[in-house]
Amino acid sequence: MTGTLCSPWFWISALALALLSLFVLYPLLNVLTASFTGEGPNGWSRLIATPRYLQAIQNTLILATTVTVVATLIGVPLAYVTARYSFAGKSLIALLPLITLVIPEVIAAQTWLMMLGNNGLITRALRDIGIRLPSFYGWFGLITSMSFIYYTYVYIGVVAAIGKFDAQLEEAAQSLGTSPARSRLKVMVPVILPAILASALLVFTMTVGNFAISMILSHRLPLLSVVTYQAAVAEGASDITMQSTLASVSVLIVMAVLFLNRWVVARGRYEIVQGRGARPQPLRGLKGAAVALAAGLVVLISLLPLISIILGAFTQARGPVMQWGNWTFANLERVFVTAPQPLINSLTYAGVATGLSIAFSAIVSYVVVKKPNIFTPFVDYISAVPLALSGTVLGVALLATFHGGWLPLSGTATIIVLAYVIRRMPFGMRNGQATLHNIPNSLEEASISLGVPPVRTFFKVVLPVMLPAIAAAAVLTWTTTVAELSASILVYSGGRETLPIQVFRLIDSGLMAYASAYGLVLVAVILIPIIVAAKLFRIDVFAAK
Amino acid sequence: MGIGIENLTVTYGAENVISGLSLDIPEGCFFTLLGPSGCGKTTLLRTIAGFVPAAGGTIRFGGQDVTRLPPHKRAIGMVFQDYALFPDKTVNQNVAYGLHARGEKGPTVTGKLTEALERVGLGHLGDRHPAELSGGQRQRVALARALVIKPAVLLMDEPLSNLDAKLRVQIRETITELQRESNITTVFVTHDQEEALSMSDLIGVMNKGAVEQLGSPQEIYSAPRTAYVADFVGAANRLSTRISLAGDGMVSAELCGARILATDARTGGGTEGILILRPETLHLSRDPDPARQTLPATVKSRQYLGARTSYRLHLAGDIQVVADLHGPGHDGFQPGETVSLGIDPSQARVIAA
Repeated sequence: MTGTLCSPWFWISALALALLSLFVLYPLLNVLTASFTGEGPNGWSRLIATPRYLQAIQNTLILATTVTVVATLIGVPLAYVTARYSFAGKSLIALLPLITLVIPEVIAAQTWLMMLGNNGLITRALRDIGIRLPSFYGWFGLITSMSFIYYTYVYIGVVAAIGKFDAQLEEAAQSLGTSPARSRLKVMVPVILPAILASALLVFTMTVGNFAISMILSHRLPLLSVVTYQAAVAEGASDITMQSTLASVSVLIVMAVLFLNRWVVARGRYEIVQGRGARPQPLRGLKGAAVALAAGLVVLISLLPLISIILGAFTQARGPVMQWGNWTFANLERVFVTAPQPLINSLTYAGVATGLSIAFSAIVSYVVVKKPNIFTPFVDYISAVPLALSGTVLGVALLATFHGGWLPLSGTATIIVLAYVIRRMPFGMRNGQATLHNIPNSLEEASISLGVPPVRTFFKVVLPVMLPAIAAAAVLTWTTTVAELSASILVYSGGRETLPIQVFRLIDSGLMAYASAYGLVLVAVILIPIIVAAKLFRIDVFAAK
Repeated sequence: MGIGIENLTVTYGAENVISGLSLDIPEGCFFTLLGPSGCGKTTLLRTIAGFVPAAGGTIRFGGQDVTRLPPHKRAIGMVFQDYALFPDKTVNQNVAYGLHARGEKGPTVTGKLTEALERVGLGHLGDRHPAELSGGQRQRVALARALVIKPAVLLMDEPLSNLDAKLRVQIRETITELQRESNITTVFVTHDQEEALSMSDLIGVMNKGAVEQLGSPQEIYSAPRTAYVADFVGAANRLSTRISLAGDGMVSAELCGARILATDARTGGGTEGILILRPETLHLSRDPDPARQTLPATVKSRQYLGARTSYRLHLAGDIQVVADLHGPGHDGFQPGETVSLGIDPSQARVIAA
């Protein structure tokens, strides 16, 4: 036991557990208990008594279900044709994961508005020829825009499963006398079904937790994340009891989905089939053209945000009115010269958060994997908790916990960085643990046997081997923290706006040209590290995902 | 320096993996821990290295008590089953790693590095990364890296098991040569009896966390003291038997209603024993050989293996015995044939039941 107490790893795991308890567990428990405490009737009875809240829960569930179905219907066929066939323009589809990564949701929402909103490009063009589109605010806009963002998650999950699917199974079915189409259905569908379900559940939770698009496009339609946000930032005193209750509802929904996921995975009797994937068959003629066209259209729609913010960023505007066709640098000048604070803030906060998150994940996942002790299982579990929290819930939790009291952080830069770190740390931990499981213990023991003490061994041997994975994780952490909106918008204070917050506020005021300019800079800030990592260091950022 | 282990106990949780083990490995000795997986041999090696803490007892390197010393201060050289080369470092950097850790610099390092790589025949590959080497080359680098620091003891954990058969023989020779030259006390862990027999000065056959028999390769093979050792090292027919003393270090063992003369290798007395017959010490003939003691047998099946033929024989009383025949005409007997099984009293050994 004296040996344990002398070990630096023991103290690191104790410190990690203390930090996780303070900044993850404690705020979460605060949210869950605040719904019962406070003055007046408790949050749950108010929830049931208020039709608007019940409506919000119902709408959120309907929206999440619909988006999940639509995204699956787009993602699965796209994955199938990409994995099994080659056709013109197929390489474009490989860009899909990149597109979702570099375009923040707030910008995607903005784009849809610029195209199909009341004053949108397409809306106006169609109005000129006499066609009136339904209003993009509400169900139509929410379902369309979310489906066209989230289908990529279905695509990524399913394309990997089909790639691993052993084509010999299909051939076996055909050799037993089943027709090709039927054998595909009977043999392949059950095997890739777990992947489809897993990605569908991911889309479901992401829709429930979605903030940016819900906020911008829901208009008068109450949604859970929107009413939670509104309860948190209500004029006058924010309603801690109600915001906590609503956040609890969201936590409960996500937990239910996670349990469903576990149940599905546990029930699946299929081993992941490792085998020879099928060689993609060329599609030619009419069929090939049709597939290429459909796939191209999907990719084009995904790319639309990028095109529209480039256009918007250089277009003159007078207040909310875009003067299409008149170009200007004034919008970008505002980003860099007149009001550069959001850019500076974003770079600072995301930079610090990336550094902290990566350092924490690397060291703590090392302790969890290689130096387990009584604390490490708890460290492991608690570090995964933020996966079940949407940004809004996390924001509410941090706000409720660190507003005043003995640790008054709200409104500081620290709390924004904290929100960033907490949201990304689970991914860093997962990535770090996966990397470390692949590093044999003998490597460290070899170093120790050659006379290098354990802690120096970590820095001289383990860290260099982890470095490529850490670099990839760092880039990924950077891209996602820079784009973070839903938690930071709850905890920031005036003067600490980040790029996404600024874009959000400008959209809210209808200033699309400025919003585009800040958005374009945001995309550049996200994209540049990815390109540098890929070109200079040959790091595949998506390997870390 | 030699290794002295006294009353060593190692526990995993509440379970004793090794309890009260004592062992003396003389200086300069090539010592092999031989046993199946799970017998505790790797645990013992890792305890000597210091990676597994001793719950009780002492470990001494040349008289110095190292039991509480952390592994990086024990002056060991270790070679691992998976080579454990640092993948981000070149061959040179790998081998120089331990020298740098000892604060050595400049020309001393270069000199030792070159010499170490020359000795394993890899002088030309210093700038490569481990991924660019073959399995055999990697193991040679690992060997050079462990030896270049002139360790007090060299510890090897199944270093050959990831290599194919031909390379294994080659590296076996390299290891033996280097060990003889440097005269470093070496502990070698393996489950391969051929490696153990061909390389070692001394073998400890391990079973359930204890050294069951300690001896030279010849002693271990030809004079196993327990059924376990006989079984694990080489193939053996084990037959329960009732015995009576026949004098002159011999016993008379009852087998299939007959009595045969065998060497007494028991540690205690009693009338029960196990008769150990190595398949390659048995003889077969069509007619009883008057010069030998024989038993009648029937050939049940045979496996032709090129250099030898392995026969499965049935003796009276449903006893089965395997006999391996070498030399000209070794495949001359057919299944179903009735034969005479010849047993040499000096090769047949009776051990305690």
